[in-house]
Amino acid sequence: MDNKHIVEIRNLVKHFPMGGDHFLALKGISLDFAVGEFTGLVGPSGSGKTTLLNIVGGLDSPSEGQVTVLGHNLAGTSHKQRAELRRLHMGFIFQTYNLLPVYTVYENVEFPLLLNGVPADERKRLVTRAIELVGLSDKLGSRPAQLSGGEGQRVAIARAIVKEPTLVLADEPTANLDAENSHHVMKILVSLNKELSTSFIFATHDEKVMAYLHRILNLVDGKIVKDELVENPELKG
Amino acid sequence: MLTFKLALKNLMGAGTRTWLNVFVTALSFILIILMTGMYQGMDAHAKQVTIDSEIAGGAYWHPLYDPTDPFTLEDAHAVPPPRVVDLVDAGQAVPVLVAQAAIYPNGRIMPVVMKGILPQQDIISLPSAKLAEYDGPSIPVIIGRGMAKRANLNQGDTFTIRWLDASRTYDADEGIVVHIMSTENIKIDFGQIWIPLDRAQAMLSMAGEATYVSYAQNLEPLAETDGWIHRDVGYLTRDMTAMIEAKQPGTNVLFAILLALAAMGIFNSQMLSIFRRHKEIGTLMALGMTRSKVVGLFTTEGGLNAFLALIMAGVLGGPLFYLTATYGIPLPLDYSEMGLIIASRLTPIYPLALFVSTTILVSIIVTIVSYLPSRRIARMKPTEALRGRVS
Repeated sequence: MDNKHIVEIRNLVKHFPMGGDHFLALKGISLDFAVGEFTGLVGPSGSGKTTLLNIVGGLDSPSEGQVTVLGHNLAGTSHKQRAELRRLHMGFIFQTYNLLPVYTVYENVEFPLLLNGVPADERKRLVTRAIELVGLSDKLGSRPAQLSGGEGQRVAIARAIVKEPTLVLADEPTANLDAENSHHVMKILVSLNKELSTSFIFATHDEKVMAYLHRILNLVDGKIVKDELVENPELKG
Repeated sequence: MLTFKLALKNLMGAGTRTWLNVFVTALSFILIILMTGMYQGMDAHAKQVTIDSEIAGGAYWHPLYDPTDPFTLEDAHAVPPPRVVDLVDAGQAVPVLVAQAAIYPNGRIMPVVMKGILPQQDIISLPSAKLAEYDGPSIPVIIGRGMAKRANLNQGDTFTIRWLDASRTYDADEGIVVHIMSTENIKIDFGQIWIPLDRAQAMLSMAGEATYVSYAQNLEPLAETDGWIHRDVGYLTRDMTAMIEAKQPGTNVLFAILLALAAMGIFNSQMLSIFRRHKEIGTLMALGMTRSKVVGLFTTEGGLNAFLALIMAGVLGGPLFYLTATYGIPLPLDYSEMGLIIASRLTPIYPLALFVSTTILVSIIVTIVSYLPSRRIARMKPTEALRGRVS
């Protein structure tokens, strides 16, 4: 792996079977993501944003091409190795939060640490810190059903960053949130990016999210049509 | 350990849904043990009743005696061997003289087996002492409740008895019902009349003779029997043993049905879990759980379901098993009408082996039926699970 690059993608093609034919979701994409980036994959529905995010996260595999994440060529890794990569180094934020319904806020955030076998004392410290960062210290014992949409997404963020991962992949993290909550969530992510140097890759078509990104990749029909570094006023704040 | 903790948390977190599943599985557990216990109790009771009221410790048969062939009765009688007579004199054996006869209750004719027995005996559980309480001119007769019903006879009723004596001459006299015994053993009830041995020997001109001699339980069999055939309990209950063995496949089918019910409950809840929780499965994979660990988690949940069901079965079924084993279960029908030896209060038997074997068997089956649906997870793509698609 290039020291500066956390993800390297070369000639990535992804197609899905559709009827007797194939649907081409990604058409020969090549790009790199640097350490500490705050990048957005932007484009209309069906442009391939989520597919690209899933492949980077090892949740899906490329049809052709090479994807290297944290120095691991995903084409040569097993399901188990990809799961380990996610468990140790990646955090996920989903559009629908995907919190575990029978767990409390504390337990949801604690879950990735349990999987990593973090000792109890350290777990408590990290969970408390992550929940403080997203401002939900008063909701530790609440269950997901008792939270508002904004609170639910903040719990999902706390869960994604609690193990201080190298890379966080966020798929439409603000799609179900109102404007106020969207800005709140994005500000939290920006501060985490600055504090922990965690790299963030977003898949979004939300203008409010774009205002926080410092690199925007425009995808149309499975191709990157624009890759621009932006100077966002929200980031300066 | 983590898988176990997570599975327990998931089960507890699911609340009512979990407890409903556990309750249904526990109910199956209880039914399996109760039904098997009832069957075992029924079999043991039938065998014990037969031993107590008919067989005792065993018997010495006249060489020609064959209870399944009434024609042998004419010749199957003799004075028992001296050693057997010694047992009778010592009160450790009771001779029985068997002959064919006919009775005429209320103008009808009924062929019967007439058995002469020593009134003062306690070798077999038969109220023969009632025969000695009568000192009238008629032949005192004890019949069973079933026989009394069929012949429409009540205590004190008289009827004609006709028999063939040793010199092949028909004779007849009046019999009187001195007692109607209540017995669960239909083999000493239907088609049988019991009279005093000395009376029978006199009527049949067979002084001192018997057809078979039953001896007390726990008595060692004699080495020398002068041609009389020793029949032990195993031989004398062989019909019943064969009947129980013939019934075994039916019992096994019932056992399998109840087991299948328990298994289906868990299989169903596992399938439902996997369909309902596809998003959760996808999330667990995204968070870094391997497929095999997710499969393990769901299988453990199923196994824990069975374990909780076992505890619930113990809590709910324990008192039930204790009460039924102590006081029995009253049966609504008189099964003797159907030719079955079944107690009016059926007392189930629950040996430890039944609990152990049921627990082991159910645990194995539950683990399998928990694992089978969970295997679907291994084929699931994380992205499809997250999107809510389950193949």
